[in-house]
Amino acid sequence: MKNALYLAWKSLLWHRGRSVTILLSLAITIWLPVTVRLVLDQFRHEISERANATPLVLGAKGSRIDLALHALYFDTLPPADTTMAEVESINHLSPTNVAAIAIPLYVRYRTQSRPGIEGSVIVGTSPEYFEFRRLNIADGQMAALPGECVVGCNVAMRMQLHPGDSILSAPRNAFNLAGDYPLKMKIVGVLTQSHSPDDDAVFTDVRTTWIIDGIGHGHQELNTQTDSQLLLKNSTETRSVTANASVLPYTEITADNIDSFHFHGDPASFPLTAIIVVPETNKARTQILGRYSSSQATAQCLKPPEVIDELLSIVFRIEQLAWVCSIAAGIVTCLLLGLVVNLSMRLRAAEMQTMFRLGCSHMTIAKLHSSEIVLLLCAASVLAGAAALLTLRFPASVLRSLLF
Amino acid sequence: MISINQLTFTYGDGTFRLRIPQLTLESGRSAVIVGPSGSGKTTLLNLIAGILTGSGGELRVGNTDVHRLNGNERRLFRLRNVGMVFQDFQLIDYLSVFDNVLLPCRIHPSVSVTKELRERASSLLDSVELASFERRSVTQLSQGERQRVAICRALLLSPRIVLADEPTGNLDPVNAERIVRLLLSETAHSGATLIMVTHDHSLVPHFDLVIPFDQFLERTPGEQKHHNLGGGAT
Repeated sequence: MKNALYLAWKSLLWHRGRSVTILLSLAITIWLPVTVRLVLDQFRHEISERANATPLVLGAKGSRIDLALHALYFDTLPPADTTMAEVESINHLSPTNVAAIAIPLYVRYRTQSRPGIEGSVIVGTSPEYFEFRRLNIADGQMAALPGECVVGCNVAMRMQLHPGDSILSAPRNAFNLAGDYPLKMKIVGVLTQSHSPDDDAVFTDVRTTWIIDGIGHGHQELNTQTDSQLLLKNSTETRSVTANASVLPYTEITADNIDSFHFHGDPASFPLTAIIVVPETNKARTQILGRYSSSQATAQCLKPPEVIDELLSIVFRIEQLAWVCSIAAGIVTCLLLGLVVNLSMRLRAAEMQTMFRLGCSHMTIAKLHSSEIVLLLCAASVLAGAAALLTLRFPASVLRSLLF
Repeated sequence: MISINQLTFTYGDGTFRLRIPQLTLESGRSAVIVGPSGSGKTTLLNLIAGILTGSGGELRVGNTDVHRLNGNERRLFRLRNVGMVFQDFQLIDYLSVFDNVLLPCRIHPSVSVTKELRERASSLLDSVELASFERRSVTQLSQGERQRVAICRALLLSPRIVLADEPTGNLDPVNAERIVRLLLSETAHSGATLIMVTHDHSLVPHFDLVIPFDQFLERTPGEQKHHNLGGGAT
């Protein structure tokens, strides 16, 4: 066999063009199903892992999939907002003890893009989120005040950010003068890598995201002593002032102006895009699910693993389709390979005749041909394996964005 | 010893028949076959090598009646006993000069490429002044050089019989003389029998036996039309 392999190797080297063409065809045919399988397995593992680690998600009624993906991956926006009232409601489920922890999420804004670098999602949440997701600070400290933020490691790496730097939020609509202004946030920490969507997010206090949203704001102090040029109405009797548009709104929260920041309206009505609920007991879990299962409920509560399973059933169908395509491609490649081998045998008939006339058996000649095929298959397998490993280096988020 | 007795071989559609009544060649002797084109010289070499089988008569090499062997036995007989130099060299293009010479080892079921065989291959190439061409592709060689490689390949395993089909056909007189001397010295050294086909009558005196090959091919009885012999027979 050693001699057959040696002669086959020499033949393959001599017929380089033909060998490379067959090698690439075989490699692609092997690579496709292997990669589909590996990537989907990885995707399935990653997506299930995060879903399984998230007990319950609460949000406005509507698409279950959108809400789950939003709470888990900050990907798609749910069709409507829920409110802080639900957080309060969950936190006070039991009058005597803590039955469940509600972690608010307000994920509506992104940071400003830079040339060649897309902006990152801004996640407004509470400190419990970091504990829940086991996120630690690699450099700096946790955000404690409005206007401070911590960035995921990928964001820090991509945008070359360090504690002490600043980052700007991106307004949703640059042409709306009455809309939200960009807020300059101070980076106080960088998170350790978690190999999750948290690595690509900027985390801040939920109040900061409300300030970006315009629900809260800070501006020059307005009282009865304020420069009359800024005021439209100054009533000393009712102690109320009405300012004109010349009042300077703050776009950065600093130690000097933080006291001027305030919110208008009932805090219970402040918006959230989702709430992660961590029940302390099975009883609390059942209680919460029951509360939000009725048709009169103002919000929906879902179990992320169940929703993700629904999604994965779609992935399974895609996988099956990919398998069918791969099998078809494999059959075509095998047929073409058979044709190439057949034509090659005809072209090399004189060579084989020489071998035979020298005393070579038909078995040895068959070994020569099969050795060539074996060598090509081995090389194609190695190539396909290497390509599959390279493909796996793409994060599952790429596939998630492609699929959903 | 090679002995032929009433050996017949019928070509293709049966129009022509080669018939050799009697021929004997002692071991270690050399014979040259001369005759016109299409007289059946190559056919005789192929019959001795067991590539073709006769339709009648007897062809013995030593104690072996070659034509009583089955296909596989004839192939092994050829591999173990016969070194062949073909008319058109039949070298393998994708192998180097050295690997072409070593080819009989690589297709032999019980011979492996040993250091001794490598040295013998080098020595043979050196004797035909191709030592410096060992690593070259045979496609880079001239016709004469290719012929010399083919001869080295035939001699590598020191066969009992060397069959050379016009090995000097593409060589100038000086190189033709040198090749014949090489074939004769190598076969004499190993005690092998050499049978060579040639058109070059100037080489005939080097051989022990001359076989004039102009009366062995005959038209089969009852066939009136003229037919060409077709490829393969000279």
